[in-house]
Amino acid sequence: MKTRFAPALFTRSQSHVVACLTSLVLFCVLFCVLFCGACSVAGSAAPTPAGAELFQLCAQCHGPEAGGNRPVNAPSIAGLPQWYLEAQLKKFKSGGRGMHFDDLSGMQMRPMAMSLANDKEISAIAEYVSKLAPTKPATQLTDGDATRGQALFVTCSACHGADAAGMEAMKAPPLNHASDWYLFASLGKFKAGVRGTNPADTSGALMRPMALTLPNEQAMKDVIAYIMTLKK
Amino acid sequence: MIERYIEQVSTYASDIDGLITLIGVIVGFWFVLVEVVFFGLIVAFREKKGVKAQYITGEEKHQKRWIGIPHELVLLCDIVIIIAAVRVWVNVKQTQPPAQETVRIIAQQWAWSFVHPGPDGKLDTADDIKTVDELHVKVNTVYHFKLEARDVLHSFSVPVFRLKQDAIPGRVITGWFKAKRTGVHDIQCVEICGIGHGLMPARILIQTPEEYGTWQAAQAATASK
Repeated sequence: MKTRFAPALFTRSQSHVVACLTSLVLFCVLFCVLFCGACSVAGSAAPTPAGAELFQLCAQCHGPEAGGNRPVNAPSIAGLPQWYLEAQLKKFKSGGRGMHFDDLSGMQMRPMAMSLANDKEISAIAEYVSKLAPTKPATQLTDGDATRGQALFVTCSACHGADAAGMEAMKAPPLNHASDWYLFASLGKFKAGVRGTNPADTSGALMRPMALTLPNEQAMKDVIAYIMTLKK
Repeated sequence: MIERYIEQVSTYASDIDGLITLIGVIVGFWFVLVEVVFFGLIVAFREKKGVKAQYITGEEKHQKRWIGIPHELVLLCDIVIIIAAVRVWVNVKQTQPPAQETVRIIAQQWAWSFVHPGPDGKLDTADDIKTVDELHVKVNTVYHFKLEARDVLHSFSVPVFRLKQDAIPGRVITGWFKAKRTGVHDIQCVEICGIGHGLMPARILIQTPEEYGTWQAAQAATASK
């Protein structure tokens, strides 16, 4: 028995054209909806990402536990106090650090700080890193004399404390978790005027004359050798 | 047309824009024509009642014309593009007008450093002025730049100049530009150079000779302190 269908609205060939046009219209509508959605998300006030989320960028160089990575000039930063981390990030972002012609590692860090949108993000990331367990970077400088360094450290202890644990009031960070290679590089930068000469770096300006009291590289290595004995 | 969206600040920017426009018009013309023909044929030869589909091998002379004639016309367009492109290439890259000033441009992860000649007008002397992320130049002055990279591949780009030049470690590449208007514009790295690639913008400050002289004197005074 034959079944009778109602006559089709379009012929078969016409229905192909109609299907194509319908798909095109649907695609355009979908594109408009997605585009408008993306615009509204971009325009809305986004919440500050959590410190752990922001830290993913830092981890690329400083490592997943912020223990540092010498080949890319990234020092250990885990457990540094929040006030110090915030101050340094703000300096990098504003150009107080990382803007000297010879500060090659500083120039690597500066754009990372610039990628943080505002003070809230800086605080979030500084808080996160400050709560990470301090690491114990391996000693890499071997020719320092800690005994001679102890005498030289008297100058440092005035601000950094006798145990090198740092003093916020003096804007002096702790040194007792720092990598020795980083301390050596930093002292060299302060002595050469690569750090501590930018008018925006007021705390760096305090450190530079102290670094200049160390007469040569051996003295720098000696004082660092002593600081390494204060490692916790 | 392009200058409506991004300024032309170097003397050769209009030549490059002209070339891009020429290529855009030629390619655009062929694109539109091909699409019109393509969809026109689809509609014209859609399935019809009583018409049997057939496979066309394209071997008949009247069929081959659909390929042959456009092919020859496209080759003609290619020749036009090549002639125009070589003229611009020779003007911008192969021919360097005599330098009135020379600057050193150094790329590194992830910043641009610049060495400007001091009051003696020469590079690599004690009075050189070194800056990070700020290049100062005088308007209407032919500059040669010595481009270097400290670590990996970078590429020096000033969009308003339509200037782009790769920086390669171990090589010093010389290029030139002449700014025709004062202003402050972006410098970009346009070669992926690591995680901070997108975060190494710098600026070029194009100044009048008087402004440049004031800046140069201020830098010299700071250096002497």
